[in-house]
Amino acid sequence: MKKLILITIVILPLFVAAQETWVVPETNLEKISPFVFDDDLIKDGEALYENLCISCHGTVRKNNPMVFVPSPGDPASEKFQSQTDGSMFYKINKGRGGMPGFEPTLEEEEIWSLIGYFRSLNKAYIQPEFDYGDEVLSELAMALSYDANVDKLVVKVTSNGEMKSGIKVSAAVKGLFGKYILENEETNETGIAYFNVDRKMPGDEEGNLTVQVRAQEGYSIKKTEQTMQLVEPTVKTDLIAGRHLWSKALKAPIWLIVVFNLIVSCIWGIIIYIIIGLVRLKKVS
Amino acid sequence: MGKVREEEMDLLSESRIEEDLLRNVNWSKKFKIWFGFLTVLLIVCLWFYIQQLRKGLGITGMHDIVSWGIYISNFVFFIAASLIGMLISSVMGMIGYKWIKPISRIAEIIAVAFALVAGIVIITDMGRPDRLHHLVLYGRIQSPIIWDIAVVITYLALSLLLLYIPLIPDISLCNDKLTGLPKFQQKMYKVLSLGWAGNEAQYKTIKRYFQILLIVIIPVALAIHTVTSWLFAMTLRTGWDSPIFGPYFVSGAFVAGCAAVIIAMYFIQRNYMLQDYITDMHFDRMGKLLVLVSLVYVYFNINEIIVPAYKFKPTEIKHIGNLLYGHDSVLFWLVQAGGLIIPFMLLMIPKMRKPLPSMLISVVILVAAWFKRYVIVVPTQLEPYMPIQNMPESYHSYTPTIPEIAITVGTLVMVLMVITILTKLFPVVSVWEMKEELLQENQS
Ligand code: HEC
Repeated sequence: MKKLILITIVILPLFVAAQETWVVPETNLEKISPFVFDDDLIKDGEALYENLCISCHGTVRKNNPMVFVPSPGDPASEKFQSQTDGSMFYKINKGRGGMPGFEPTLEEEEIWSLIGYFRSLNKAYIQPEFDYGDEVLSELAMALSYDANVDKLVVKVTSNGEMKSGIKVSAAVKGLFGKYILENEETNETGIAYFNVDRKMPGDEEGNLTVQVRAQEGYSIKKTEQTMQLVEPTVKTDLIAGRHLWSKALKAPIWLIVVFNLIVSCIWGIIIYIIIGLVRLKKVS
Repeated sequence: MGKVREEEMDLLSESRIEEDLLRNVNWSKKFKIWFGFLTVLLIVCLWFYIQQLRKGLGITGMHDIVSWGIYISNFVFFIAASLIGMLISSVMGMIGYKWIKPISRIAEIIAVAFALVAGIVIITDMGRPDRLHHLVLYGRIQSPIIWDIAVVITYLALSLLLLYIPLIPDISLCNDKLTGLPKFQQKMYKVLSLGWAGNEAQYKTIKRYFQILLIVIIPVALAIHTVTSWLFAMTLRTGWDSPIFGPYFVSGAFVAGCAAVIIAMYFIQRNYMLQDYITDMHFDRMGKLLVLVSLVYVYFNINEIIVPAYKFKPTEIKHIGNLLYGHDSVLFWLVQAGGLIIPFMLLMIPKMRKPLPSMLISVVILVAAWFKRYVIVVPTQLEPYMPIQNMPESYHSYTPTIPEIAITVGTLVMVLMVITILTKLFPVVSVWEMKEELLQENQS
């Protein structure tokens, strides 16, 4: 009996939670993304999903979320897609029960990129247009160069063809897994942002690195990726070039060849000496 | 020299020694039946080997996870058993124990037989034995496998010489005294006796060579089993990655070898009526030697388990647990307690060192020694660092198949055949050394 009560106490809240639909305050339902769900944004969203969400929500379209009550659900499913963008935005921000709230950890743009990614799984979805009001989305353009005198990456930004100060620019170096963020800067009066570059960073044989730069003014975002010569050339050493235990047979360490052959020839020398002696045994008297 | 021995020796004369010790050199009916039985058995096993050649190693129980099965366990066992030649003839001989004289040839024969077949055993583990020569063409001197092959061949050569050199006077004796043998055999004795005339200088020469060999074989014998242990210890695998693997294997080898010698002594003594030469005293002393080497081996076993078990490294936990109370614990305890500790304790009782009981105990020890190699080789592979994922269910364990077992039995049959032939071709106890001893005793 005691056990039954205990089980009821533990299990009951789960059922209660399961039955209770997740109510999103009216005002949040209609919220829409000021960012355009373009390929860049969707790609960011996908990367975030794979880092932060996949462990519970599973591989998209496979419908294999982790077992939770209520279930996290598959982002490609009806459960997600039938909601408004604002509803998802609210849920990801606030969280509930097993679903952590991401408000403290993610930028608004990142959350919208996740929603953009979810929406990319739904062909029928058309992104509602955001009313920017007085604000006009500016056309951003960027030119990247490297100033060897000061070891700095130079990013020149134009907004609608004009140089402008205060545009947020961030730059990162692309690595094998993820990226290494250089700095977050703002343009000066001449529309230029400078980034310190450590010449010691590992690039390829010519010293090339791929930099990813992102500029943002209001709701308009521009990203570029460019491979440029920024660091000292990396001299690639062939791991099996020298004489090592792990090298090819012909590249065995000298000491090993010497020791091995010395021992083998000493002992076989003795063996052959004895065999020759035995063959001559007849003559011994 | 025991008192018992002296009394027996009084009754012996040179002619009796010759008569007694040459008695086994013939092709008796008993031999033919025994050898015929072994041949039939071998043919059956060979049939399985042909299957393996045709279909590949797929017919064994080995797979991606356990790629070293009973073939490699068997190889390690063979190398172990072959080490005894060195301990008996060389170490004991040089210390000056005279009592080993009548049994040192038996120890050498065992060494030669196991070392010879060990080379064949390793070939059974090869999926493409037709590419054996690639070892020479493409082998890397950095690999312990190449060291192992070099040392196995060297040890075999040394063991053959160590067996052959003291045999020369006896082969000459066979050539002179034995009649009615097949022609080829007579011819073989003639060739192998190397024109032995039995003069002082010749005796001096072979004794010198013998001394050299006794010394050289010690490091080579230690090397053969140490390098075999390195095949395992040079990897990073849990359970193999151990710096004491060399001495651990060597001490284990002496246990297996002593047991093999006691078993051989028993059957040779009974079959060839050598009770005057291989006496209760020999069983008693070999029994004591077996206790000694078992104690050393137990000591290494304790180290192998206690040290990693105390540290409880995450990777070791599963492996040790598996051995002590998990999946492989039954076999582990059967081998450790039933096949090592209890037998050596029994051997401490004098009555248990009589021929029959000591032979029976040795059989238990030898069988356990075989399974001990299995416990060393296989369970480790089932605990890889990378979890076994996306693999067929069967990859989570290893069970040898019937062809695999048959081929392994076949190699054991070959060892018995080699031992049988050698003990039928030559006197198993050195005739001239017995005579020499008699002479010395008469003089004193
Ligand atoms: C620790 C596991 C976990 C992680 C990590 C997680 N979720 Fe959830 N998520 C849940 C659970 C459980 C629910 C269901 C919550 C409920 O209905 O009470 C849920 C629900 C949701 C919902 C609402 C679905 C609905 O029923 O309307 C959204 C949207 C969502 N998650 C998005 C995300 C995103 C985006 C991430 C990654 C940034 C994420 N989740 C990471 C467990 C998780």
